[in-house]
Amino acid sequence: MIEFSRFILENGLKVLVQEDFSTPVVAINVLYDVGSKDESPELTGLAHLFEHLMFGGSKNIKDFDTPIQQAGGECNAFTNSDITNFYITLPVENIEIAFWLESDRMKSLSFSKKSLKTQQKVVIEEFKETTLNEPYGDMWHHLSEMSYKTHPYRWPTIGLEIDHISKVTVEDIKNFFYHHYCPNNAILVVSGPVKELQIKELCEKWFSDIPMGEIPKRAFLFDKKEKEERKEIKAPVPSNAIYMAFNMPERLHPDYYTYDLISDILSNGRSARLFQKLVKENHLFSYIDAYLYGSIDPGIFIIEGRLLDEVSLEEAERAIWEELEKLKTTPIEENELQKLQNQVESTLIFSETGVQNKATNLAYFELVGDANLINTEAKLYQEVTIENIQKVANQTFRKENLSVLTYLKNSDKKI
Amino acid sequence: MPPIKEITHISLDQPLTYVLDNGIKIYLINTGQHEACKIEFHFATGRTDEHKRLVAKSTLRLIKDGTRQYNSSQLAEKIDFYGAALNLNAQLDASSIVLTALNKHLENLIPILAEIIWDPIFPQSELEVYKKNNQERLKLELIKNDVIAYRKFTELIFGENHPYGYNSFPETYDQIFREDILKHHLERFGTSNCTIFISGKIADSEIKLINKYFGQNKKIVKLQSLIYNGEINFSPQKLNIITEDTVQTSIKLGIKCFNRSHSDYYGMFVLNTIIGGYFGSRLMLNIREDKGYTYNIYSSLDTMKYDGYFYISTDTSHDLVEKTKAEIYKEIKKLQEKPIDAEEQSMVKNYLLGNFLTMIDGPYNTIDVVKTFISEDLEISHFNQLIEYIKTFNVADIQALANKYLNKSQLWEITVGGKNKK
Repeated sequence: MIEFSRFILENGLKVLVQEDFSTPVVAINVLYDVGSKDESPELTGLAHLFEHLMFGGSKNIKDFDTPIQQAGGECNAFTNSDITNFYITLPVENIEIAFWLESDRMKSLSFSKKSLKTQQKVVIEEFKETTLNEPYGDMWHHLSEMSYKTHPYRWPTIGLEIDHISKVTVEDIKNFFYHHYCPNNAILVVSGPVKELQIKELCEKWFSDIPMGEIPKRAFLFDKKEKEERKEIKAPVPSNAIYMAFNMPERLHPDYYTYDLISDILSNGRSARLFQKLVKENHLFSYIDAYLYGSIDPGIFIIEGRLLDEVSLEEAERAIWEELEKLKTTPIEENELQKLQNQVESTLIFSETGVQNKATNLAYFELVGDANLINTEAKLYQEVTIENIQKVANQTFRKENLSVLTYLKNSDKKI
Repeated sequence: MPPIKEITHISLDQPLTYVLDNGIKIYLINTGQHEACKIEFHFATGRTDEHKRLVAKSTLRLIKDGTRQYNSSQLAEKIDFYGAALNLNAQLDASSIVLTALNKHLENLIPILAEIIWDPIFPQSELEVYKKNNQERLKLELIKNDVIAYRKFTELIFGENHPYGYNSFPETYDQIFREDILKHHLERFGTSNCTIFISGKIADSEIKLINKYFGQNKKIVKLQSLIYNGEINFSPQKLNIITEDTVQTSIKLGIKCFNRSHSDYYGMFVLNTIIGGYFGSRLMLNIREDKGYTYNIYSSLDTMKYDGYFYISTDTSHDLVEKTKAEIYKEIKKLQEKPIDAEEQSMVKNYLLGNFLTMIDGPYNTIDVVKTFISEDLEISHFNQLIEYIKTFNVADIQALANKYLNKSQLWEITVGGKNKK
């Protein structure tokens, strides 16, 4: 059980405090409700580039990292299609440094041309490193485009192409900042050896004078997947690979936890079905995994595998389908359900360690609906039934609901 | 700006120790908040005393794949059923089997684990699957410039026949046979070279349980390190490997150093931090944050039981390679010519002390620090000495180390990449 308290400043900033006196370290997590889904299709990758700029100096502070390091802390951030999330961990004695820094960059960035220019180069190198230079690194580009036609999930967070990143101007940056980086679009979570009252005072002192912003209403069109789509890429990869993406409902859908357990049945642990059947028994794959891309809006359920040399892509796909058909036609045994429940119980307990983990999770759950999900999730998993697993498998694992991406190695390069 | 307070006290929790009936030692950090634990069975055996390449790693990886009583999938099923995780960490000097579990399941898990560790049968069919899948995994790694460069670096500084230096290839796996694995397990996994590290929150009854399953047998093994006694002395080279179909080149620059007990270790630890060990480092600030040549640049001081090395690593577009290298050498030269100023010194000090505070936050982290020292035959008090050094180090000593170890003529330089993607 993770206990926390919650208050809202007049400018709309939501604050959660989670007291944990077992540690000398405090985590301050600031989540902004903005992700790559809020970009325009002509300027993709902007949300992630913006995350980099948040470290490039704000109105009154030249450089973000130096004071944190002076205070014995560390900071980092990540962006995905839904959120941009920043966190600092530091010795609790120096907690006010974090408030000073986070409030200043929420007030206003310095919008320096130099910082934009440098970070554009850095992000372009990141694009090259993670997408172009990495075998199978462009799979998100293809899967997003195949699974979504209208929703902005159709482009990946890193951006559609390098050109989009290089054409961002200071004007674009300002515009993005004033529309999304406002207190009423943020959730601040503090986890560590602190008292609620102390955090209230710090929040009043540093954040209360930041004005509310006007946040554009989202009006996404949701796709209804109606037909199977397939794409084959010839690339200099070492082995053939298959990615199967099935469309699935949004994060708050009651079936979400059923989907999560289905991915566990297929690939959580070495006893999971895909590994036992397709790797160990039938020697078709050298690696296989199933997981959900757990986005807030309707997401995708992915199965990916790398094939052994002598196996054809058709054979590999057929074998995966056989396992999916089993889930559709045969209810899982009580014993297997019990295993899933035991695994979930363990995972949830171990995820409660570490202040930074807790702060980030609380912020995310608060955004999704209610931070207390962190405590009620265990029960939601327990409520998943054998019948529902079968029902969801039948709804989901259909050809019309599928996008298949395959990589075919185009040479037998000697290494 | 709010005032910054110095971090004054960092104290590593002293582990509790137990000795099982057969002499196996347990180190325990028992400060957890949940009824859960991590139990690591640590065997002092690895590449340093294997009789054939890759045998140490393969033995460890296959240890979970069959005992007299259960086959591989039955074992996997049992561990997963109790919501536990079993990790096998093959390091250069050690082989570790790590169980993470809720306490309430230990009664069921510990007997299985004892069987896995003491009675594995290494079925031929499992070995075949293992070999094939690892060959595939290796093929994927071997097309990455970064991996090629790192492998070349360690091979060059130690030599291609040294346990720390040799590289494995898909063909290396073809040479591993079941007899090799059985022999390695028989001769290298004993009670005499086993130490148990536990963290979390456990009771005496659980120690008793472990004693029942791990404290009764006795198996003395003789270990023979294959590490060369003499100094390795190769003269550094500059090497450029051309690969196709990539858009970035990987750069590694470095030098062979020493293990943690060397008199220059603390100083190099600090020097490494200044050069490329944290976000505010010289390389990061100049080459990423000012020039934008790369997404990531860092340096690392890696130590093993008998040796160690320092290296700088980055990936950058092919056309920026020369500029990036020039800036790296420029940063090294600056550190050789001028001691760091008081402001940078205090930043490095505070950053490191804060970092240590996180490093020993919670039982699962603390035990890893304890294990690092114990497994390298060092006193845990080394940790406090390192902290003392960081608090009081002399900038002239750091400058002297930059001059002693980081001259251009001493550094190996590996670049891998070159041809643009079509």
